[in-house]
Amino acid sequence: MMAVAMARLLHSGETVFHGVASPLPMVATLLAKRLHAPDLVYLNITGATDPTPEHLPISTVDPALLHGTRSLVTLADLFDLSGRGRLDVAFLSGVQIDGAGRINLSAIGPYGRPSVRLPGGAGSAMLMPTARRVILWRTKHDRRTFVAQLDFVTASGNVDRVVTPLGLFVRRDGRLEVESLHPGISPEAFREATGFPVAVGPETPVTPPPNEEEMAALRSVDPDGVARSEFGRKIGRV
Amino acid sequence: MIDKRTTLAQAIAAIPHGARVALGGNTLHRGPGAAVHEIVRQEKRGLEIVKTAGAYDVDLLCAAGCAAAISAGFVGYETPFGMAQAYRRAVESGAVEAREHACATVIAGLRAAIQGVPFMPVAGLTGSDLPAARGFVALRDPYSDAEVFVVPAMIPEVAILHVQEADCQGNGRIIGTRFEDVLMAKAAQRVILTAERIVDGTSFEAAPETVAIPGFLVDAVVEAPGGAWPFSCTPLYDYDAEYLAVWVAVARDANAATAFIAEHILARAGVPA
Repeated sequence: MMAVAMARLLHSGETVFHGVASPLPMVATLLAKRLHAPDLVYLNITGATDPTPEHLPISTVDPALLHGTRSLVTLADLFDLSGRGRLDVAFLSGVQIDGAGRINLSAIGPYGRPSVRLPGGAGSAMLMPTARRVILWRTKHDRRTFVAQLDFVTASGNVDRVVTPLGLFVRRDGRLEVESLHPGISPEAFREATGFPVAVGPETPVTPPPNEEEMAALRSVDPDGVARSEFGRKIGRV
Repeated sequence: MIDKRTTLAQAIAAIPHGARVALGGNTLHRGPGAAVHEIVRQEKRGLEIVKTAGAYDVDLLCAAGCAAAISAGFVGYETPFGMAQAYRRAVESGAVEAREHACATVIAGLRAAIQGVPFMPVAGLTGSDLPAARGFVALRDPYSDAEVFVVPAMIPEVAILHVQEADCQGNGRIIGTRFEDVLMAKAAQRVILTAERIVDGTSFEAAPETVAIPGFLVDAVVEAPGGAWPFSCTPLYDYDAEYLAVWVAVARDANAATAFIAEHILARAGVPA
């Protein structure tokens, strides 16, 4: 559901970037190219421009993502692209995400002496204010993730959507609003799992479930289920 | 021409304690694994490690007590192996300082060093707590009045890079993604190149544009087959998922990590890996 929902947010002709540790954005971007966005330009940290990987790696900086690229850029080039306003979409995530769509990937607890030192925001503090649209994704939707108050603001900026296992947020006037609930998710469950106030009820739209064409394309793009690795599941051909 | 070939032990011996050391590669890929193991064996102390996105290298140097500070945008093993537990523990205990960057600010700091200017403007960073936490200041653009963040030049005393092919003078060919290796080679005061194989440099003359690292910037060349291990080195070998899984499990516990390092790294002096 998440990979399909993320793919639907991408348009043909856009430049789309994901960073390290990003299997779902990798699959979603290739899926969008397959389905409705053939002229999307797929960019990642390997510097490949529109690669056609033969198999999908779990590491999203893997040399496997170079396959089929006809030119190479550098990571510096990709930040420069975003800096001058030419990066259309950046996929980013947060260990904590607040109601304004700001993210924390730095630390839980006091920053100088944290109770949990997190990996760091990678490029997000630079990309989030400069990319035209930022799509956040997170495979956990609970009150420890969607919080009223971040312990540290690693990055904030041009968040457009947030995709979770329960539904989609859209950011309007600087606040995250519930756009749709995935099939089978009740408004109460969504509200209960979100640590900041959200308007959600029986009138909230339901995310259209993946159709046959989307599911077939997903199986073709990601036959080994690499996207599921983000949910802690074992990878294997299905 | 000077023959810059030396042994890994001699090349690493020239790194002083407390040095700022830039490491090539990115997360699980083409890091200078053999050189990092030699740093651990020589018990270097107080190092500041510079990298956009580190993994095993940063984690091990924290576990072994070699690192005092980590200047990086991301430290972790990506989804397959999760967080860098020794790094995490070292920062949480105060033993190591996390000098957190956006990856773009590492690049900007290296670019300032390369260009011989004291600082470099970088787009973005607005609305982040990072500039305040790290002391990155915003300056007024003298031409437009807009504000832009600037980061200080970051001059590594040493850059250690692993490449697929090098000649005796240190000209180095990188196959596949170059990551920040070329920037590091230009920004650093000294460059140590480890190479899968040393080749006759005349073979580079037909296509010098494919040579990423200019030899005149390099101080030491070490032939190190398998020298990226346990990182990947395309197209020769993938990262060693089995070994990394063992290390990540061991690294959760400080005593287990210390015992593992003693058994598998300190006791194996002279072994390429």
